[in-house]
Amino acid sequence: MLAAPWVCRSCVRSLRRVGFPHQFLRRASTDSFKLPPALLDRARFLTAEHDQLTAQLADNFDEKIAKRAGEVHRIADAFKKFEHAKASLVELEGLLKSDDPEMREMAQEDLAATNEQLAESSRNLSVALTPKHPFADMPCLIEIVPGPGGTEGRFFADSVFKMYQAYCANKGFRTKVVQYLAADSTGEKGGDGEIALQEAVLEVMEEGAYAHFRGEAGMHRVQRVPATEKSGRTHTSAVAVWVLPSFSENATASDSDWDNPESDFYIDPAEVKSEKMRASGAGGQHVNKTESAIRLTHIPTGITVSMQDSRSQHTNRADAWRLLRSRIAQKRREAREDAARALRSSVLSSAQLTRGDKIRTYNYGQDRCTDHRAGLDVHNLPDVLRGGDTLGKVIDAVHGWLTEKDIQALLADEEAAAAAANTPAKGKKGK
Amino acid sequence: MPRLPPSLFWTARKQISPFAPLLLPVCRTLDSTANELRWIKEHVNSTPSPVPRKLRIWQDCLKRGERGMPLQYILGTQPFGPLEILCRPGVLIPRPETESIITHLTTLLPPTPTLKILDLCTGTGCIPLLLSSLLPPTTKAQTTGIDISPLAISLSRQNLLHNISLSHLPPSTSQQQQITFTQSDIFSPLFLPSLPYSPGELDILVSNPPYISPHGFNTTTERSVRLFEPKLALVPDAASLSWSKGYSCRPEDVFYARLLEIAGVLQPKRVLFEVGDLDQAARVAEMVVRGGGEGEGGGGGGGERELKAYAGTVEIWRDDPDVESEGEKESVWVDGGKVRVGVKGRGNGRGVYFWRKDQ
Repeated sequence: MLAAPWVCRSCVRSLRRVGFPHQFLRRASTDSFKLPPALLDRARFLTAEHDQLTAQLADNFDEKIAKRAGEVHRIADAFKKFEHAKASLVELEGLLKSDDPEMREMAQEDLAATNEQLAESSRNLSVALTPKHPFADMPCLIEIVPGPGGTEGRFFADSVFKMYQAYCANKGFRTKVVQYLAADSTGEKGGDGEIALQEAVLEVMEEGAYAHFRGEAGMHRVQRVPATEKSGRTHTSAVAVWVLPSFSENATASDSDWDNPESDFYIDPAEVKSEKMRASGAGGQHVNKTESAIRLTHIPTGITVSMQDSRSQHTNRADAWRLLRSRIAQKRREAREDAARALRSSVLSSAQLTRGDKIRTYNYGQDRCTDHRAGLDVHNLPDVLRGGDTLGKVIDAVHGWLTEKDIQALLADEEAAAAAANTPAKGKKGK
Repeated sequence: MPRLPPSLFWTARKQISPFAPLLLPVCRTLDSTANELRWIKEHVNSTPSPVPRKLRIWQDCLKRGERGMPLQYILGTQPFGPLEILCRPGVLIPRPETESIITHLTTLLPPTPTLKILDLCTGTGCIPLLLSSLLPPTTKAQTTGIDISPLAISLSRQNLLHNISLSHLPPSTSQQQQITFTQSDIFSPLFLPSLPYSPGELDILVSNPPYISPHGFNTTTERSVRLFEPKLALVPDAASLSWSKGYSCRPEDVFYARLLEIAGVLQPKRVLFEVGDLDQAARVAEMVVRGGGEGEGGGGGGGERELKAYAGTVEIWRDDPDVESEGEKESVWVDGGKVRVGVKGRGNGRGVYFWRKDQ
C-alpha cells in the first residue's frame, strides 16, 4: 500500500530539486563566533602588524606604511572588539558561579547582551577578514540577454534593463547605455511599453559598481500573464543578466603613454634582452660591417622582435621597441578579454540559459519578488521594477548572502591550506 | 672563409634580384644581401641622375661586390646614433662599436652646466657630434676635434653642417653647443702648448686612434677595409715616423703612449680610448696603472708620469658596455698580476676608461 497518493513524475522531479538552502546560512551565522583557529591566528597576526605599523607611523610618517596600516585597521579594530567581548563573557561566567544571588541575576541579564555582542563582533571580524574581490573597485557592465522562449522573455528583458537603469538613477550612479538592441522581427509592444529586446548593455561608471552589482548576475525568472496572451495563462520565462567588470579605456586612450606602468604598452626595460646580431671575430677598425639588425626578447612572455630594415641600429632599435610594445599590448588585451570571457562563462556555467538556475523570480500574479539565494521575499513588485528601495533591499540581502559565502570559501581555503601544510610534515615524520 | 656554394647564387638570383649574386661574395648571407641591395636601390632612387636607374644599381653593386668597396663609400653616409655621418674615401668610416661605447659614456656623465670635450684623431668628427647630440640641452658643451688629415677635418666640418641641416644638431648659432675641428699633429712637440686648456680644466678626453699592428693589417682586416679605408687611420706607422722612436711599447700601442702623455699633462676628468681587442685593452690599462707611457725620456710634451690621480679607476669596456656579460671574463690582471682591472659588457674588448678620483 502506498503511503502517498500518486504523483506524476515531473512533479516528483520538481520536488526533489533542493534549490538553495534558505535558512541554513542564517542559522550558520548566528553562532559562528566560534571562529576557526586559522582565522583567529590570521586576525591576531594582522593586529600585531597593525600595532607595529602605528608605532612606526608615530615616529615618522611614510605613505606606504600609512596605506598598509589603513588596510589592516578594519581587521585590527574588529579583532580587538571581539577579544573584548570574549573577555567580558569569561568574566560574566565567573560571576554566574558567585554565591551572591543578586550578582548572579545581574550576570544573567548581561549574558544575553554580551553573547549578542560577541556574535556580532565575530561576524564583523570575519567580514573584515574576507578578501576583497579583485574587481571590486571597478566600474561594471550589466549585460541583459533574454532567455529562450519567444517574445515574452524579450519583453521582460526590457523591463529588467529599465529596472537597473532606474535603480542607478535613484542611487545617483552614472550610467551609459552601451548597447540597446531591439529584436527587429516584431514591431509590437508588451505591457508598460516594453519592446522586444535582443541584447542590452548598461555601463555603470561608478567605482565599486562591480562589487555592488556582482550578485545580480544569473537567471532572472518572470511569471506573469503576457500582454500578448489571449487566454490569460501565466507564462514563465527567463532573462540572463551578466555583470562584467568594465576595464578602463586607458589602453586605447593612452597608446602613446609608454612610461605609464598602468598602460598596456608599458614594458619594464629590465625585462627586455637586447641583442645586436654580430659576427664573431674582430670588430672595430678591423672590419666594416653593414649589419644593423637588432633583436629584442621580452623575457617574461618570450616574445621576440627583430628589425633589420634600416641601416641605422638606432632606428632599428626604436622600431623594434615600438613593435614589441604593440605586440605585448595586444597580448595583454587578449589575456584580459579571456579573463572576462571566463568570468562570463562561470556566471552561467552549468546550464547556460535554462529556467532552472534562477536566482530571482518576479511573480506578477502574487505581486512578489523572491531572491532564491538570500531567501528573501518582497511584496511591492512595481516598486522593484521601478528600481526603488525595495530592489535596494533585495540587493542588500544578496550582498549579505555573498559575504557569507565568501567567508565560507575563505574558511574552507584556510582549512585546506592548513591541512596541506600539515600532511607533508606528517609524511616526513613517518619516513 | 668557406667557399659559398653555387646554389646560393642561384637562390639569390631567383629570390632577391638579378643584381643579388653580385653582392653575395661580400655579404655572404641572403639576408644581408637583400638588405644591402635594398639600401643601394633606395640610394639610387633618392639621388637624381641622368644615368639610367638600373645601370646605376648595377654599377654600385659591381663596386660593392666585385671590388669590395665599403657600402658607406658608395652610399656616402653612415648612420651613427641619431646622426647621419658623411663618408668619403680617405676618411675612416665610423664603426657601430664606437657608437656604443660613446653612448655608454654619456650615460655616466653627471649633469653639469658646462663641459669641455677634446677628441683626438677625430676622422669624420663622429665622436664630437654624437657626444654633443646626446648631451642634455641644458649642458653647455665646448667640443674640439683634432685630426692630422686635412681631408678628415674638411669632412668633419661638412658633417657638422650636414647634421645641423638635418636638424639632428642645434644650429651653430646656439649658445649650447660649440663644436670646432682643427688640423694638428698630436705627436708634434708644439701640440701640447697649442691647446687652450689649463691642467684639470678638460672634462672629457676621447680618442679612437689607429690601433692595428702592421702584421694585423695584413692578416686580420677585412678586404674592404684593407683596400679602401685610409691606412693612416688604421695602423700607427712606426717605421716611417721619427716621433715614434722614443716609445718602447709595441708599434700598435704607440698612440696610446702619446695619448697618456697628453692625459698626464691635461689631467682631464674622464678619459676614454677605443682599443682593438682585450689584449690591447689590458696593455693600455697596464700603461695607465704604471703611471703613463713607457717612454724613455718622453717623445714630446710633458712626459712626466702624472697619472697617479687615475690610480684604481681603470676599467675595460667591451663592445656593448651597457649589457650584462655572458660568461665572459669579468676582470684581467695587469702589471705582472699585481693589479686587477674590471671588464664590463659583452663582446670584444673595445675601450679603456679611467677617471680622476679627486673630482
